[in-house]
Amino acid sequence: MKQKLSRSLFLIPALALLSIFVVYPVVNTLYLSFLSPEGKFVFLSNYADLLTRREIINPRGFARGFAFGALPHNLLWTLIHLPLTVFFGLLLAVILRHVKGGVIIKSVIFLGMVTPMIIGGVLLRFIFDGRAGIVPVVLSIFNVAPRTLTAHPDTALIALILGSVWIWAGFSMVLYSAGLETIPKELYEAAQIDGATPRHIFFKITIPMLKPITTVVVTMTLLWNLRIFDIVYAATMGGPGGATNVLALQMFFYAFRRLEFNSAAVVATILMLLAMVAATPMIRSAWRESR
Amino acid sequence: MFKRLLTLTLLIVLVSGVALFAVEDRLVIAVPWAGAELEAFLPVLQAFTDETGIEVTPITLRFEDLAVFLPAQFAAGITVADVIFMWSWFIEEKARAGHVLAITEVIDPADLLVGALDPVTIDNQLYGIAYTGKVKPGFWYRLSFFEKHGLTVPGTWEEFVALLEEIAQIPGIVAPIASGNGVGWPLSDIAEHFLIAFGGPELFKALVAGEIAWTDPTVEAIFADKLVPLLKAGHFGEPTEWTMAKELWWGGDYGLYFMGSWITGMVEDPENLGLFTLPGTEGMVFAIDYAFIPIYTERPAAAKKLISFLATRGQVIQVGKGGHLATYINVPLEAYPPVDARVAELLVGMVVLPDLDDTIGGAFQLAFWDQLKLLWVAPEMLPEVLGILEELAP
Repeated sequence: MKQKLSRSLFLIPALALLSIFVVYPVVNTLYLSFLSPEGKFVFLSNYADLLTRREIINPRGFARGFAFGALPHNLLWTLIHLPLTVFFGLLLAVILRHVKGGVIIKSVIFLGMVTPMIIGGVLLRFIFDGRAGIVPVVLSIFNVAPRTLTAHPDTALIALILGSVWIWAGFSMVLYSAGLETIPKELYEAAQIDGATPRHIFFKITIPMLKPITTVVVTMTLLWNLRIFDIVYAATMGGPGGATNVLALQMFFYAFRRLEFNSAAVVATILMLLAMVAATPMIRSAWRESR
Repeated sequence: MFKRLLTLTLLIVLVSGVALFAVEDRLVIAVPWAGAELEAFLPVLQAFTDETGIEVTPITLRFEDLAVFLPAQFAAGITVADVIFMWSWFIEEKARAGHVLAITEVIDPADLLVGALDPVTIDNQLYGIAYTGKVKPGFWYRLSFFEKHGLTVPGTWEEFVALLEEIAQIPGIVAPIASGNGVGWPLSDIAEHFLIAFGGPELFKALVAGEIAWTDPTVEAIFADKLVPLLKAGHFGEPTEWTMAKELWWGGDYGLYFMGSWITGMVEDPENLGLFTLPGTEGMVFAIDYAFIPIYTERPAAAKKLISFLATRGQVIQVGKGGHLATYINVPLEAYPPVDARVAELLVGMVVLPDLDDTIGGAFQLAFWDQLKLLWVAPEMLPEVLGILEELAP
């Protein structure tokens, strides 16, 4: 009994901090999202109104091929960025595992990850610049006329997504590199004795053994995709014509440029719900491990 | 030994504390300038300190950042600085909400340009000052470039278009006009110049006041008949980060660059600078730097002294450093460097106009910048661009 009580006492500081800095803001944001600017309780009206706004979902954008709205942009970001990040991270980790100087190469790749994202955004602006950037120069080898990819609405979003793969791939590479080291060598040796080909070894041993790492990489990348802000803010400010706008940036504009705090709270709540869905696999995995 | 060390430490803390509080007043001013621009402002603050004994510490804060955190600070009853440079629309908005100190008794409006204080005056109460300003006069060019290629300043619209076509033919030229980018304001300056040149100052004022629609045929015609054909013809370069665009223009990749008068302090040889406005222009944007005192300052008396100094004598020192034009009417013309005196001459006979997006502000300002970035690369989207601007206009 005494032991239980002392355990509970130790929980109090953490619970107090969580209540003040997490629970209260979350509940208050949720409550704010149900209020009109005049403070009247309107329940889901703000949500209905927001989801019909052009900056959130833009049906006309689908017809012409750009500026789909912040919500579809986030989804598109996830659809392209997530598989590429997982693929390149794994590929780099496997390739560089036995390469001489692989550690140095990995460190260089990981630099993108430790660079502040706001600086990453500025770098992307210059990397895709038609006059000074390296990407248009490389593309010109394939007879693509050089142009500033982030300045044109039809290429700006994809340019930022691919740029962010470069920034984030270092994260998945490091996790997969660590994961590869945990796979027992005996498994590979046994497979080789049984006559398994490298392809079989990779798909039947490496990939299944890396499943917990993949769960972490996918979840963290999903969460990162949902809260993407600084790269877009620094590189394009959501433009041109809203072609690169994302939910977190729109939330910022609602809150601090339009001073529409209820709209900002609605976006924040939608982001929170999406994040909860994204985090479910990792929470489940952690739960299973703890049991 | 330990006791001695403790005594010595306490003594040092005590002495330094006394020294800190010995300064009667110590103000903090938030300015939008850094680097060379801030260097040029420091002598103004030094002159104020010499005159009053009040020390002033400048901190650099962009207007875009101030717009984000000042509302939260004001809601909490605190302020980042005693005097803050900021957009006029923001000062007006916060003054109406009761966050700005009235300074009517320390400023004589007759000392400043007529109309300069209008954006920060509410019900005959003054809530901010007009410091110096910069004009956005027109297209800058290198005299040596025009001389080398036998180019002349246009006197009509047709001559202007012919000049652009002539520049486009020069080997090595990427586009006749460089397009500065950043958050988007350089393109808004060009659009404003076209609106003034072809719509006249009255139409421009009506747009600022929200008395005419952006989709009005008169406004649409200016874009559709003048600006859009130039964009479609490739006479404007791709939007490029504005300081980089300046370097490329100065290096000969572009023939012309539309920029504010601060460019005189940014080029290697200001004497090699030439300037012309679009033919027929009768007005010019004079973008004034406004400053205000939040009511949350702990030193209102000293802050008022500083703001009064900035509105008057401080401007004499500032204009001498180049790139600024005074709103204080008693600044002699000799106080200006020669190149700025030439810019000041251009203002003669022109209607002085406020910066459109800085005056309207808020969501419109962001949309104006963003939609112009879109128009620059997709001019065929003009109707949609104007439609969005109309939705957010006052």
